[in-house]
Amino acid sequence: MSARGPLAPALALALCAAAGPAAAQEYTVLVASEATDQIAVVRFGPRLGAGGTPAAKVETSRTVGLNPMDPDGPHGLAFAPDGRSYFVSTAHGAPYGSLWRFDAATGETLGRVELGLFPATLQVSPDGAAAYVVNFNLHGEMVPSSVSVVGLATSAGGGEELVEIARIPTCAMPHGSRLTADGSRHYSACMMDDLLVEIDTRTLAVSRHFLLTKGKEQGMPGAPMVRRGAHAGHDMGGHGMDAPKAGETVCSPTWAQPTPDGRSVYVACNKTSEIVEVDAATWALKRRIAAGDGVYNLAITRDAKLLVATNKRGRSVSVFDAASGKELARIPTLRRVVHGVAVSPDDRYAFVSVEGVGSEPGTLEVIDLATRQRVASADVGQMAGGVDVIAAARP
Amino acid sequence: MPVPALALLGLLQQPAQSPAAAPSPVARIVVSPSDPVVAAMDTLRLTGRALDAQGNEVPGVRVRFQQAGGWFEGAVDTTGLVRAGATGMLPVAAVAVVPGTRPFVERVGVRMVPSAAARVAVEGLPATLVVGQRVAPTATAYSAQADRREDRVRWTSSAPGVVSVRDGIVVAAAPGRAVLTAEAGSAKATVPVTVVATRVASVEVSPGTAPAAGWRTGDVLRFRAVAKDAQGRAIPGVTPTWSFSPGQGQIDPDGAFVGYEARPYTVTASLGDRSATAVVTLAARDVRRPATIVGRLPRERFNTEEVWLHPTEQVAYLGSGGGGDVMYAIDISNPAAPTVTDSIVSNTRRVNDVMTTKDGKHLVFTREGASDRRNGIVVASLEDPRHPKVLSEYTETVTAGVHSAFVYTQPKHGTHVYLTNDGTGALHVIDLNDPSKPKEVATWKTPRPDFAGDAGRSLHDIDVQDGLLYASYWNDGLVILDVGNGVKGGSPSNPVLVSQFKYDLNDMYRQVEAAGGPGFIRGTHTAWRHKNYVFIADEVFPSEGVKGAPANSAAGGRAYGRLQVIDVSDMQNPKSVAWYEPEMGGVHNVWVAGDTLYMGAYNGGFRAFDVSGELRGDLRAQAREMVHVHTADPAGRVKNTPMTWGVVVRDGLAYVNDMYNGLWIVRMEPSKAPKPKVMQ
Repeated sequence: MSARGPLAPALALALCAAAGPAAAQEYTVLVASEATDQIAVVRFGPRLGAGGTPAAKVETSRTVGLNPMDPDGPHGLAFAPDGRSYFVSTAHGAPYGSLWRFDAATGETLGRVELGLFPATLQVSPDGAAAYVVNFNLHGEMVPSSVSVVGLATSAGGGEELVEIARIPTCAMPHGSRLTADGSRHYSACMMDDLLVEIDTRTLAVSRHFLLTKGKEQGMPGAPMVRRGAHAGHDMGGHGMDAPKAGETVCSPTWAQPTPDGRSVYVACNKTSEIVEVDAATWALKRRIAAGDGVYNLAITRDAKLLVATNKRGRSVSVFDAASGKELARIPTLRRVVHGVAVSPDDRYAFVSVEGVGSEPGTLEVIDLATRQRVASADVGQMAGGVDVIAAARP
Repeated sequence: MPVPALALLGLLQQPAQSPAAAPSPVARIVVSPSDPVVAAMDTLRLTGRALDAQGNEVPGVRVRFQQAGGWFEGAVDTTGLVRAGATGMLPVAAVAVVPGTRPFVERVGVRMVPSAAARVAVEGLPATLVVGQRVAPTATAYSAQADRREDRVRWTSSAPGVVSVRDGIVVAAAPGRAVLTAEAGSAKATVPVTVVATRVASVEVSPGTAPAAGWRTGDVLRFRAVAKDAQGRAIPGVTPTWSFSPGQGQIDPDGAFVGYEARPYTVTASLGDRSATAVVTLAARDVRRPATIVGRLPRERFNTEEVWLHPTEQVAYLGSGGGGDVMYAIDISNPAAPTVTDSIVSNTRRVNDVMTTKDGKHLVFTREGASDRRNGIVVASLEDPRHPKVLSEYTETVTAGVHSAFVYTQPKHGTHVYLTNDGTGALHVIDLNDPSKPKEVATWKTPRPDFAGDAGRSLHDIDVQDGLLYASYWNDGLVILDVGNGVKGGSPSNPVLVSQFKYDLNDMYRQVEAAGGPGFIRGTHTAWRHKNYVFIADEVFPSEGVKGAPANSAAGGRAYGRLQVIDVSDMQNPKSVAWYEPEMGGVHNVWVAGDTLYMGAYNGGFRAFDVSGELRGDLRAQAREMVHVHTADPAGRVKNTPMTWGVVVRDGLAYVNDMYNGLWIVRMEPSKAPKPKVMQ
């Protein structure tokens, strides 16, 4: 789900240069399926299909989790910047979830650390030193939750071990988090508090927060006040699937995506179906962009030209011109409950995960950002959520 | 948790394209105390010093503490404050971060031990002894939280000339009275003992009246001993010390003996310098019998989950999991050809539990993994049992998911559904008197320390009989609630705790940790009340399977687990009296009909065993197992691998559901055991 850090494009470019024309570049995509504890390893190539057509093929499926009987619920997923390992958050637990690290080539488990309640969206910092994971805390009392910061430590025995180096309190139901390209700031959205939260990664503390409710937008310094009991209980709108009531002003933010230059932060307002742009310098509302129904996750190309949004209720993916806010295309998805999106390191493709409903398979759908059309898809495990992509090494 | 202080400053201050963090200058973290021990329900402060390779303290480093397991038992905060909520081992990672370098981590284990001894329990010490009698009572110290302690109990006697205690052996030396005291710390128990003057001249032992068919392995023989004086008069009130040889079995201080082998046993009662023996010969139990697979309904699209039978019609209902969103209705009027007649597809990815109302008019099934994350239960009308129709659902307070549901009707209170909440570990009671409008009337959960929140609380399964609810509460063991029985004034809208049976899961499954490492899965999983017993079964899996095993292969791992027989004839003091562990399998769901217990044993397949009569000791060793069917299928969802879930029994047929291999209908055939040998 994460946009690649600055090292990744370099890696991709190097691979592309070695491989020849960029059009033939292939990609390795990972998709986490929360209902089946599966990580699908998918290879996509513009010429991988019959007759040199684009195709996405599931190469293998890897099981993640501790409990063979009950779902561990892999939710967030991100490659490390060097592409040699990847991280998966497992959200279900008894009650705490975990962050796992796997060898990207073999799938071997390299480490696991227990985090908070329902660890969800995650991203690895551009220097690879830390992983940021929101503790979504989906069930139980709606109380402020946190963002966990996990580092790779040298253990006393000489090995490597994942450790949580900070747990930063934020607000209720933190979701959809992303780092700036330079790794200096981390943004997350709190669904139940209508807030955007900024963490200064130098101090590992909340530096600012922003109220997203329509008509009440306001940037504020420091961490939000703890408002225990002031939330709407379990009513989270079917986790982004319920249509909002008429005149809804509550944003119910589900994703925060900074621009590559760090000057703005886009926030997906799932309830009002808008994208809010916040000026990172003045910490003020810049504009509201009308978006698809139930806009959910966001990704931005590295050249900052295109903003890609999944529309959870709208069964589609929208591509926006970031500068004008104009919706350039809305591409229907094959199945329902559109979830995550990751943009390829070369900005050419968007890889979209679609959960499906009930026994429907999850889907990985590939959108060509040049033609703004779906060019390939692959069925994966049910409840597909976390997704990330790297340029594939040549066989 | 507090934000890490300056120690973490600069961790991520490096330029984005800088190389990976440099090695830490920290070579060792010295944690104090070096062997941390804390009592349950107490706190302990850990501190840490980061040292370099030369043993010098690295300046400006704050050591941060992080929990690395043991969430069910305790907690540690970042400052090193340990809060112990139970006994066990709390793995802790001490992390030192030097700006610009990799974190350094040192693991420590905090032993959480029982708090101070609050009482001493003495067993096996008769109130009346005879001169020369020697007995070895047990004296065990317990904490205020009822955790068993390992204290060496100190014995004293108020009259050593009458009764003395040495190395735990009580010796009656002379007629008289004495008070024996067993002490552990400040806790003690006193037991008055009388040594009678009458000399024992003889002892007679009898095993009671043998049944017509003779004694068999697994039968509990209640031996009695009568001591007589020189005039042949019985000496009242004396209790012998019991022993037996040879062979395997168990004899309790009350003379209850159970033998595991078909052979002669010599049982001895000793009283002072007199003893008597009785020889009993046990025949083979011979309950093993053949089984026939009458019919099958393979299911390959999803995992197969709960099976349930309509109370009056020849219809079965079958859940699905592993992404399954369907509950099947199956015509079983011809068991050789079970046929799907209809199904309900729901917004779920697991139908883990299915149950009908007693009158067969409605059905409830559970949901987990809904796409809108509104889980809960679905209520269906069974106007036509072969074609269930969705009538209503209840999701409001159980959106996290419902794993198990039990439907129960009481004349006084009507029909309620008792639910487990996946998110909080709470019991929810839903009024189903208007099935079209289910409404919540109560919730209940096991108490935990404030600092623990919902941590470690997990309610897995529910059984209700005679207005008593038997909750399988994982770490909290078996919990019995009054939901209408009246023993504690409880009702569905006001569940009241009756009693709780806890046991040491970590100790019981030490071999699982040894095989697969710490952090393994274990807990009280299911319960079934039968006569004066509650059968409880644990779900146990190692934290790691066999390394190098092919994916989805039978070589990769296995379930473990023990079924315990809990005697609840004294409801306030449940007591474990017997157990059963299948070969190469776990113990999942059970069903009891008549004197037979049926079990889905995961990798161990379908098993049934004889639970007739009184139960003591190791039921498998007693050859009580009657039937075993290895429910594997070369064409199964997972090939050649059984994962037997459970069973429902009716009219002599066992409807066995296997997660990987669908529904099996099994008939236990009459015994073909050879005639017992004539014992001389």
